[in-house]
Amino acid sequence: MAHHLKDKEAYQRLNYLYQAAHCVIAQNPDNVELARFYCFTQKTIARRLVLRQDPSVKRTLCKRCCSLLIPGVTATTRQRRKHKKTRFTVVRCLSCGQTKTLLNDPDHRLWTDRPEAQLEQHKQPGEEAK
Amino acid sequence: MEEAHVCTTIPQDLVRRLGAEAHSSSKATKFTEAYLKNCIQQPTRLDVKNIVTHKAVILGYSRPKKDKTKRNSKKAKGLSARQKRTMKVFRIKPEHQRYELFLPLHKLWGQYIIDLCGGLKPTSNPQFVQQKLLKADFHGAIITVVRSKCPSYVGTTGILIQEFKHVFKIITKEDKVKVIPKKNSVFSVEIEGFVSHIYGNKFELRSSERSAKKFKVKGTIDL
Repeated sequence: MAHHLKDKEAYQRLNYLYQAAHCVIAQNPDNVELARFYCFTQKTIARRLVLRQDPSVKRTLCKRCCSLLIPGVTATTRQRRKHKKTRFTVVRCLSCGQTKTLLNDPDHRLWTDRPEAQLEQHKQPGEEAK
Repeated sequence: MEEAHVCTTIPQDLVRRLGAEAHSSSKATKFTEAYLKNCIQQPTRLDVKNIVTHKAVILGYSRPKKDKTKRNSKKAKGLSARQKRTMKVFRIKPEHQRYELFLPLHKLWGQYIIDLCGGLKPTSNPQFVQQKLLKADFHGAIITVVRSKCPSYVGTTGILIQEFKHVFKIITKEDKVKVIPKKNSVFSVEIEGFVSHIYGNKFELRSSERSAKKFKVKGTIDL
């Protein structure tokens, strides 16, 4: 992973901050402020260095106030229906009230989960090595 | 009823008495046309006859206003600085300021640093480790003030919980949160026997900006 060396530290830092936020919440579920501070730093680092974060990470952070969204602790999760058929998962941040609406569809897949994306990622290091 | 009265022709006996004469319908239309022509103020450029024949009357019309709330709800916007201040987003409540709550955080930090440096051994190059520490995150580290211009700060030890641009927030063993300015003080960080010093003067940055910034050799620090 020679080509990744520079960003590796940054990714480790992002990972640490994300874990730290979880750790703080696990110790004391009411201490939202500190967890939010760590997530905010994580977000700003990613913005400064133009790093992409996985959707699974982004979906657990509030877009508005940057707090961790843990169902039942800092967020409510509900199933909603729209136009009779399509179902959504609605995640609502308890501290600021911002909602996230995610589609429930067993056939729908994110780009990063698809096999094509995996292929592309494998290709790139090979090209750079040449 | 009244309209009907207006439209009726004048009775014969009245004609004779008044000396007035009822117009025939074609004459009447011509008369009204001429009358209207006179009445309408002449906007010279417009064809008056056209207006009269088409009778297109435009009443006051205003465009429907765009629904602002709909657009706002679609795009989630972050909080503004004022909102953050009023909500006290990053302020830690006093009941959460307990030292033992932050011990797991410190443990996590130790693992993170060891992982970052690829295993700390007595043989590892100190310069290499320090290079890594420049870009590392210090939330959760135990730091001690070694030197400072203000003597009362010297010797305070605690877990770093928040790092701001000019200030470190530290929680001490006595469950007290202390705010220590970075300026004019030197901090020491201990990682498994490896002690590193942080010069606060050079660290006056937001912790998120530190990962992107290049550090340059500039001047000396005398304390």
